[in-house]
Amino acid sequence: MQFLALVLDSFRESLDRKIFWVMLFISLAVAGAMFCFSFEPNKVSILFGTWELETDFLTVGGKLREDIIAWIVVDGIMDTILGWVGVILALIATAGFLPSLMQRGTIDVMLSKPIARWQLFLGKYLGSMAFVGVHATIFVGLTFLVCGLRWGVWLPGYLLSIPLMVLLFSYLYCISVLVAIPSRSTVAAVLVTLGAWVFFAGIQITDDQFSTNESWQQYDTAYTASRVVRWIVPKTADITYKAKQWARAAGSADLVQQGGIDPDEATEWAEKIERKRSAIPAYYTIGSSLAFEAVVVLIAMWLFSRRDY
Amino acid sequence: MVNVTEMTNWAVDLIDVRKTYGRSVHALRGVNIQVGAGEIFGLLGPNGAGKTTLVKIMMTVVRATRAYGTILGRPIGHRGKLAVTGYLPESHRFPGYLTGAQLLDYYAALAKVPRDRRRRRAPELLDRVGLTNWADARIDKYSKGMLQRLGIAQALMNDPELVVLDEPTDGLDPVGRRDVRELLADLRDKGTTIFLNSHLLSELEMVCDRVTILVDGLVARQGTLRELTDHTVEYKIAFTGDAASVHSTLASLGAKIEAGGKSGLVSIPGHNLSKVNETIDLLRSSGAMIESVSPHRFSLEDILVEAMGADANVGASHLPTENPASS
Repeated sequence: MQFLALVLDSFRESLDRKIFWVMLFISLAVAGAMFCFSFEPNKVSILFGTWELETDFLTVGGKLREDIIAWIVVDGIMDTILGWVGVILALIATAGFLPSLMQRGTIDVMLSKPIARWQLFLGKYLGSMAFVGVHATIFVGLTFLVCGLRWGVWLPGYLLSIPLMVLLFSYLYCISVLVAIPSRSTVAAVLVTLGAWVFFAGIQITDDQFSTNESWQQYDTAYTASRVVRWIVPKTADITYKAKQWARAAGSADLVQQGGIDPDEATEWAEKIERKRSAIPAYYTIGSSLAFEAVVVLIAMWLFSRRDY
Repeated sequence: MVNVTEMTNWAVDLIDVRKTYGRSVHALRGVNIQVGAGEIFGLLGPNGAGKTTLVKIMMTVVRATRAYGTILGRPIGHRGKLAVTGYLPESHRFPGYLTGAQLLDYYAALAKVPRDRRRRRAPELLDRVGLTNWADARIDKYSKGMLQRLGIAQALMNDPELVVLDEPTDGLDPVGRRDVRELLADLRDKGTTIFLNSHLLSELEMVCDRVTILVDGLVARQGTLRELTDHTVEYKIAFTGDAASVHSTLASLGAKIEAGGKSGLVSIPGHNLSKVNETIDLLRSSGAMIESVSPHRFSLEDILVEAMGADANVGASHLPTENPASS
């Protein structure tokens, strides 16, 4: 009962924030914009035939056409809008949940209720997850339906990006709450989290460089350090890669082989990265990132439970 | 009125409560307070005395550096008893996105009040605090007085055995204050223990059975209002004429003389009628004419000011506070 009340309250709080409606508007706008396009032989129709763009880009039929549409949806829409814009907006929207709870006058009443502090913390934490889950479901659900109904390409694997994007958000959100508890500052929580995200991505890129570029591997210590840090920190780039891999019918490497993408654009290095990331098992990517999140959440929970208000 | 001497059980029994922030800020330095079941208890003291810290320790918002004793029979900090405790903090801040009815339901759910009881209790309490017409309005539309009324209602949603109210009449108009006083009296009649922390001494004077004065993190005075004021009664004798010849004798009796021109005022501390009569005799023997004799009972404000000035005595409760629960 208490837990449900907390989660419900977090959701009500999110409804009160303008950013909730901004995110909803973005979802509807993207789905609406997608609906205005249709891919026909030799042309792309915009706004139900108002404009028509002659192109032989989609003259190919069958599997390759599906792959190209999947590539547009997954790499263009999911990765950019959901994986970047959506996650940043979600972090901004939820970063204030804990600082507002910890405001003097609010926290006093909450802590005077017979609910353990860790439960209070976890209730708010999961409330934020629910907020993001709702948005991810709306966005992916709408774009999935448009892709299937309007373009005739059904991507059941794309639906997996709902939990995966919530996971990606949660890997970053744990940093946000860890910063918010001692600082009680929404701005600090957002900035540090975005900084951490850049750091995590940087570590993964650096490690990719080490593992695919032989000239880099002479720096043993740095290579080992990058591997160790990558092992510890959340694999944000990898989880996005997994989401994309599972969502589309074929990987971009396949598109290159099938002639869908200019081979000149697909460098040897990029292919190596593709192969390396494909080889990383999902349980390792998700599990080790969850372990990091669990440790950070436990520390945050401990700080939340121990401090005076 | 609860008779302390008949008390066999304390609703709140705080023993040696200490709180130190950092290494050097001693907010509480060993507070002992007992509150009888079913009484209205007032906590008062100057700013920085440690009142809010003490209340927050009782409500588990702040952790004591050291604390013994019990609240509703369980050790201080026991979360289970919070289910039967209501709390209104000072300067509370309620989520503006909820309506009054939603807030009551939310806080009561956190207090483990079953849904059917919440649904029954919320309209009752909203009616009791005069907010029925505002039940479905967002809280960010409420005035300060309405927020205070709502705060009191939320503190009562779980039908508590103990209610801790920090500045409950803050922001209320005179009618609102009277309503709160009546509400507190009703609660006491039902057996609810009420712990009040307020700056409004006149309010405390009107409703409290017993009070504690906290000064500099220690109990300076504690007892029933009667007990405290009995200790501080004085008689004032107004006279005309020159009484200079008896000034030294009056001073030796412990009287304070304020003489100016051909009139004066003699204050005799304590409830000592023979001293009063002796003073009158002395004044009359000096040729002065007695204009009036009036007993003056100290108000709570006088007691507080006196306690704040009596730093040397701080910590020694002036009244016996025998604690059967801990003996």
